[in-house]
Amino acid sequence: MMKDYIRVCDVEKYYGNASNVTKAIDRVSFTVAQGEFMGVMGASGSGKTTLLNMLSTIDRVTAGHIWYGDTDIAEMKEDALAEFRKENLGFVFQDYNLLDTLTIEENIILAMTLHKKQKQEIKKKCNEMLHLLQIEDIRNQFPYQVSGGQKQRCACARALVNNPRLLLADEPTGALDSKSAQTLLETFTDMNQKMQATILMVTHDAFSASYCSRILFLKDGRIFHELIRGSKGRREFLNEILDVLALTGGEVSDAR
Amino acid sequence: MLGKLAFRNVRRSARDYLVYFLTMTFVTALMFAFNSLIFTKDIEAMFEVAGLMMALIGLATFFIVLIVAWLINYMIRFMLEKRSKEFGIYLLIGIKKKEIARLYQRENALLGAAAFIIGMGLGVLLQQVIMAILYSMIQVKYDIRMEFNRYCILMTAGCYAGCYILALFRCGRKFRKMNIRNLMEAQKKNEEIRESHEQAKRWLFPLSLLFLSVFAVFIFTGGIQGGGQILFFLVGIVLVIYLFYIGLSSWIVCYVRKRGDAVCRGQNLFLLRQFSSKLKTMSFTMGTLTALFTVAFLGCTVAMMFSDYQDKMLETKFPFDVQIYSSDVEDDFTDELEIIGEEAEILDTRSYHIYANVPADVPEDTEITDSAGDSNTVVKQHKLGYAGQANQVNIWLSTHLKVFGDTYLQEDGSPDIPKIEKDCREGAFYCSYDTYMKLSDYNVLREMLGYEKVNLAEDEYLIHLKERIREETETLKDDIVIEGKYGELNFVGYYSEPFSQDGHNGGDYVIVISDSAASHLTPYYAELIVDIEGEAPAGLGNKLDDLEEPEESRSREEEDDELLGGHGMMPGNSCVGSDTIVVMAVENMVRDNLIPETKYLLSTLIFPCFYVGLVFLCVALTVLSVQQLSDSAKYKFRYSVLGKLGMNKNEIGMVILKQLVCYYLCPVFLAVVIGGSVSVFMSGKFIFYTGLHSAVIYYFGISFLLFFGIYALYFITTYVSFRRNIETD
Repeated sequence: MMKDYIRVCDVEKYYGNASNVTKAIDRVSFTVAQGEFMGVMGASGSGKTTLLNMLSTIDRVTAGHIWYGDTDIAEMKEDALAEFRKENLGFVFQDYNLLDTLTIEENIILAMTLHKKQKQEIKKKCNEMLHLLQIEDIRNQFPYQVSGGQKQRCACARALVNNPRLLLADEPTGALDSKSAQTLLETFTDMNQKMQATILMVTHDAFSASYCSRILFLKDGRIFHELIRGSKGRREFLNEILDVLALTGGEVSDAR
Repeated sequence: MLGKLAFRNVRRSARDYLVYFLTMTFVTALMFAFNSLIFTKDIEAMFEVAGLMMALIGLATFFIVLIVAWLINYMIRFMLEKRSKEFGIYLLIGIKKKEIARLYQRENALLGAAAFIIGMGLGVLLQQVIMAILYSMIQVKYDIRMEFNRYCILMTAGCYAGCYILALFRCGRKFRKMNIRNLMEAQKKNEEIRESHEQAKRWLFPLSLLFLSVFAVFIFTGGIQGGGQILFFLVGIVLVIYLFYIGLSSWIVCYVRKRGDAVCRGQNLFLLRQFSSKLKTMSFTMGTLTALFTVAFLGCTVAMMFSDYQDKMLETKFPFDVQIYSSDVEDDFTDELEIIGEEAEILDTRSYHIYANVPADVPEDTEITDSAGDSNTVVKQHKLGYAGQANQVNIWLSTHLKVFGDTYLQEDGSPDIPKIEKDCREGAFYCSYDTYMKLSDYNVLREMLGYEKVNLAEDEYLIHLKERIREETETLKDDIVIEGKYGELNFVGYYSEPFSQDGHNGGDYVIVISDSAASHLTPYYAELIVDIEGEAPAGLGNKLDDLEEPEESRSREEEDDELLGGHGMMPGNSCVGSDTIVVMAVENMVRDNLIPETKYLLSTLIFPCFYVGLVFLCVALTVLSVQQLSDSAKYKFRYSVLGKLGMNKNEIGMVILKQLVCYYLCPVFLAVVIGGSVSVFMSGKFIFYTGLHSAVIYYFGISFLLFFGIYALYFITTYVSFRRNIETD
């Protein structure tokens, strides 16, 4: 059994004012184990991005705690959070968020220079990552010169280069064609298995989710289902996911 | 509906482009205030040279209209680009291109009109300040009053409208070429950084620096002579201004590619890339900004030079209340004294002569042909008993003062005496003969000025000269022989207090000898000094000048033909000294008339220079600021990425600060190098020619400080808005 790595305890997030409160997240609790590849699914407005934002320290909880090991990030100050982000988290977003003035390689280097790493180490590690993610050929290109899949792999490399405790991915395949999406997801699986990276991916796409080892389903700010892949094949798991989605999607609401 | 939309859009634009709006307001205010200099009735009535002010302000206005039109055009294109998505939506919902173009033009007109109206209000205030400065300069009491001259408002509005018409000229075409897809995409597009031939292009950077050093060396060693060289350097500077940024950007790119040591430290990689990509896409604009900054620097420096001259030199130029020159040695100044007596209360008068060391009965000029026998070069030479002594000081000064360079030197280094004598006869700098003064007259004048009296023995002489040439004349005393009635005189010293030596008490210098030793000298011209109670009334000088009229109408030839001695008129007995830049050649000096008049004359230079400097500076700073601010909105994600990579708020703040500093300093750096070397060179020359005692760096230093005051204002505004843009979601 992998030990509990991240614990989310009774987290709530409310938006709005006294007269009109929106509960984006409503008493959500779960744990993420080290080395897990976890997915969070849900329709638009289900609160999955809000949850990710709070996990990634970009947004604050209204109530509850988020423990990374022994650290409760809900209690931390702004500057400490920045430091925490730098040391512990890696990000991959739907729209890549690569710096457009830097080349692919430099985007990865920048993440390391902010960690005050030595030049030699930076070079070595960067080459490793470029190789691992198969973007060596385009290292000197600017983001606008390469394909979406390549950009996203670069974003992965940047997110993983500092060995973060948790890699947070927000709809990483959202802007990719199916081939690139598949390559990227295989990369995630690889990272998860070879580098023991802990990944939390938010998606509304069943195909992407089928690469995860565990999936939480969110609806109206609450967890309403959980699927564990276990030893099942990916196709089988995909079918299970589709079944859950069918339940939450059209038929269920139509039946009401 | 579209009208309402236009109005709302203007309100938003005014907020988004606050800096632009404020600059337009400020420019209007400046235009109004400076234009009112032309239309002030008092001034027009007061000075004959008021037309000069009009001409120079007009000239300044011409350049200002061009530059402001450039700014407006730049901003219009810029806003169009930034709002392309919005225009795309308009097109999408079925508004016609023509209507959008009209909407946009209406918006700009509204924005312009708002800036104009507020600017006029500010202009009235600024007008008071400028008028107060001008009036205190010309020593007239200024009562604060609103002056709304119809023509002034009309001219300001005209200039302003002119800017807009010039700017909107090509705007319509942009709309015709619009395409919905492109419009909608334009905003999403990231900066496309095209890197090609960086290795080769980076050499432009050291080459530019090399050229600038060569330029600096040449300008300081006085190596730039002749039209060809000036043209070469001018073209070179313009090229450097534009190519420098391409080179610098490529140099940074190459450094980053090489992964230099600094690249791997902290946020440097981000900063360097950010900076180089900005330079790359903006190199032409940056060049133009540099040019504007340089002109602003030069304008301010020139203004500073003349204003310093006003403050320090003018008082020393007119030590006496009234001083009158007459070429007729027998003039007893009765007419002049009568007029002065009518206008003011006379406290003391003194009339005296300036002498020449030639016998009164010098024979007629003889024409001799020079040794080469060339009959075309007929040289007039005076047959004097002691030839060479009569104008030895003039010759010495003409050949030794740096002001003259080698104008009066022959190729072998010996004095070009015929040329000196010809120019002296025409009164270019000095009189035909050296100028002498009797000790008794000298001491009376010294007493009037509050200086200590001096004693001279019969065999002694002193030289009173302008302070400006004092240092250069150390060896003069060794090279000349001054003979009194009883033989050679001994030199006792130089005196250099202000002594009215622009053609009155000699030109540049006067030799003072004791009365008895001077008894053989010939009176050369006459001078009258009047000490009056209080201030001289305005117009006294003009009245005295009117008196001269009939005499002045005599032609020059007549005067030249006049013989020496007998009649009392000597040829070539008027001079102005070796001053350049500001020359005070006035026969009837009334201090309280001349100082305001000269100050006004100088202010016709000072005000337009400041005007141009200020407007150019503001225009350039606006472009810098608007560029950065719109980037901060467009590329907000860059900073949020940095935040996600773990930089905290303060660190991001530092990155922004560093980025802005680089971006703001870069064009200024180049402008300081170019403007600075030209300014220091000009100041050096100015100080040298006018005899001021300011450090060469002084004028540039002051302009630089002034510059940085305004600069800091824009910088802080930009920085604060930049951070606000980044931090708000």
